[in-house]
Amino acid sequence: MVDSDVPQSRRRYLKTLGAVGAVGTSGLAGCTLIGGSGGGEGTVTIAATVPETGQFSSLGNAVKQGYELGVQTMNEELDQDVELIMQDDESDAEVVRQNLNQITSDNQVDMIWGSFSSLLVTAGSAFAENQGLPFIGAFFAFEGPHRNEGYEWTYSPFPKSRDVARSTRGLLELIPEEERPTNVGLWEPNSGWGNEQAQYWEDTLSSAGYDVVMRETFSLGSQDFSSLISQSESANVEVLLSTPTPPGGITAINQMQSNNWSPDIVKFVRAADPTAWWSALGEKGAYACMCPGWVPGLTGGGNDTLRTMYEEEYGLEEGQLIRSPVGGAYNVAQTAMQALQGADSTDPGDVQSALRSEEFETVIGTFSFEDNGLPAEGELTAPTGQWWEGNQHTVYPDVDGPGAIDFQYPIPDWSER
Amino acid sequence: MVASDLVFQSLLNGILLGGIYAVAALGLSLVFGIMDIVNLAHGHMLMVGAYVAILLFGVLGVTPIIGMVVAFLVLFVLGMALQRFLLERVVGEGLEQPIIVLFGLALMLQSIGRILVGSESQATEIGIPGEAIAVGTATLSFPRVVTFVISVVLILGTWAFLKYTTTGLAIRATAQNSSAAQYMGIDTDNIYVITLGLGTGLAGAAGALLSMLFPIDPFVGWSYLLKAFAVVVLGGVGSVAGTLVGGLILGVSENVGVLYLGGGFRDIISFTIFLLVLLVRPHGLFGSSGGGE
Repeated sequence: MVDSDVPQSRRRYLKTLGAVGAVGTSGLAGCTLIGGSGGGEGTVTIAATVPETGQFSSLGNAVKQGYELGVQTMNEELDQDVELIMQDDESDAEVVRQNLNQITSDNQVDMIWGSFSSLLVTAGSAFAENQGLPFIGAFFAFEGPHRNEGYEWTYSPFPKSRDVARSTRGLLELIPEEERPTNVGLWEPNSGWGNEQAQYWEDTLSSAGYDVVMRETFSLGSQDFSSLISQSESANVEVLLSTPTPPGGITAINQMQSNNWSPDIVKFVRAADPTAWWSALGEKGAYACMCPGWVPGLTGGGNDTLRTMYEEEYGLEEGQLIRSPVGGAYNVAQTAMQALQGADSTDPGDVQSALRSEEFETVIGTFSFEDNGLPAEGELTAPTGQWWEGNQHTVYPDVDGPGAIDFQYPIPDWSER
Repeated sequence: MVASDLVFQSLLNGILLGGIYAVAALGLSLVFGIMDIVNLAHGHMLMVGAYVAILLFGVLGVTPIIGMVVAFLVLFVLGMALQRFLLERVVGEGLEQPIIVLFGLALMLQSIGRILVGSESQATEIGIPGEAIAVGTATLSFPRVVTFVISVVLILGTWAFLKYTTTGLAIRATAQNSSAAQYMGIDTDNIYVITLGLGTGLAGAAGALLSMLFPIDPFVGWSYLLKAFAVVVLGGVGSVAGTLVGGLILGVSENVGVLYLGGGFRDIISFTIFLLVLLVRPHGLFGSSGGGE
């Protein structure tokens, strides 16, 4: 994890030198200059869509807040104005494409930011790839498109499937070895990401000595988990891992309770990300873990700034923590800002080069990108959060920021909760 | 090899689920069998019933069972009004006219739902609190047991209504031969109004029951309509007993089938059975070409 909010002076010095060189070349090309190199004219225009309505709407507002705080930071740090044009994509991939088409037709867009979920982010990414525009997207763990789609413009500062599996292993290793559960159950949605994530979990945990005692598929959107619950109970699953949608995950927990079964650990990646989880389940939702990219409790990399800005802008009630998508979205803006600073230009090719070559320091740690847009393996922090008393808290890695708690384990029987 | 206790558990889960499927299909079967109308808005009426129960529970704290009764009454009135003021005017204009009207109504209900409640699933549980029930090596969800019992009561109640009441007799007579029924003094227009009211009322009640177990959103109508179709084809159009048996077959096949084939096959299993029955026994297990009970 990053350990400081202090800017890296050496890197800034090198960037300034680079910027001096860039003044000449990009000046000839008519590009817009960014960063502390003497300043340029114009505005950096970013297009984005967020799911304000539809199946992911319970997260859309938090993503929007994170983007807005990020733009605020960019406007303070960069010499030029940053304009974010953001529209509601209604949780619909087709609407993502329509919105981006309209925004880029009406404006001189320099960069695109993603929405939420593999479904929507890949739609935005495909559009950006066609347009040859830099695209930065979080909330998108699916690695397949990075490897198969020949991404050139898409960059994802976000824990990917392999990072989620790494984080899960780290979480389990917080438990003393003699108490550690060994039986892992995988509920695999029949989707590309569902399969990829289940495979990473199986490979990572099997090689670490865990027993994958059950791996069963289900249809994404399924509302009946009774068969999976029976199979899990029969297989003596102690650690349940899955990637359902938020409504699916909530339904699964309700059905676990009505069937009087629960494992020792539940990690529902993406399903337990939104506040709708707690609104719908209340205390029944406690103990559930997720890997949402950012969780309150992380330190360094601008986390203090984020907290302060959030409180000033939106306020926090007593005992309330920032919602996790806010940090994930803010991290997108930090990455964009550092890419623009590194490029010293808004020229798409220069920004792309900066994304490929720079090291980024954001609220989720320090990392660089592979050429296919994946965060370099093992670099960024893939925090595991856990629902506890109405908030998502960092439980892995073992950090001490505001909002971090000790991992709550094991989940007691329903009759004891 | 799948353990026998797991098969037993799935069998029981399938029976409980099948009861819900049956009640979801009952209204569709009646309207289809008696009026010869394919109610394409049946699933969306079920969705409306679910939201009535959710609203009553969330805003007024009304228990789900009372919510179900209110949902039945609301949809009963809506169905009667639909027949009286809309469908009655297009009957006799060709087979496709009522289908177009009902398809339009389905889209309208979906859009109204989306405007009023948004697209997000209402996954908030409004279920019945209670401990899981142990049956041998199996554990049964208490809310599912309760909804199953209510479903069976609704189905038996509908059967008794058709069998033992004067109105039920008139409905059956109209289904058998509407012209003859008219000659015998039955006001068939009124019978159609009552029948559509009953069919949509049952859809409303089924929706309220489903909202106790599953998340609801404005788009669920289509998926439940397809399940209901499968049950009707399995059991036989217009047959109350067939609807119950069809629902149970579908629920059990899905739940036991996924043990062997995997959860991704759930819908494939149900629609394979649907197609097989259409091929081998098009009038269903309990149906006859004459229709009616």
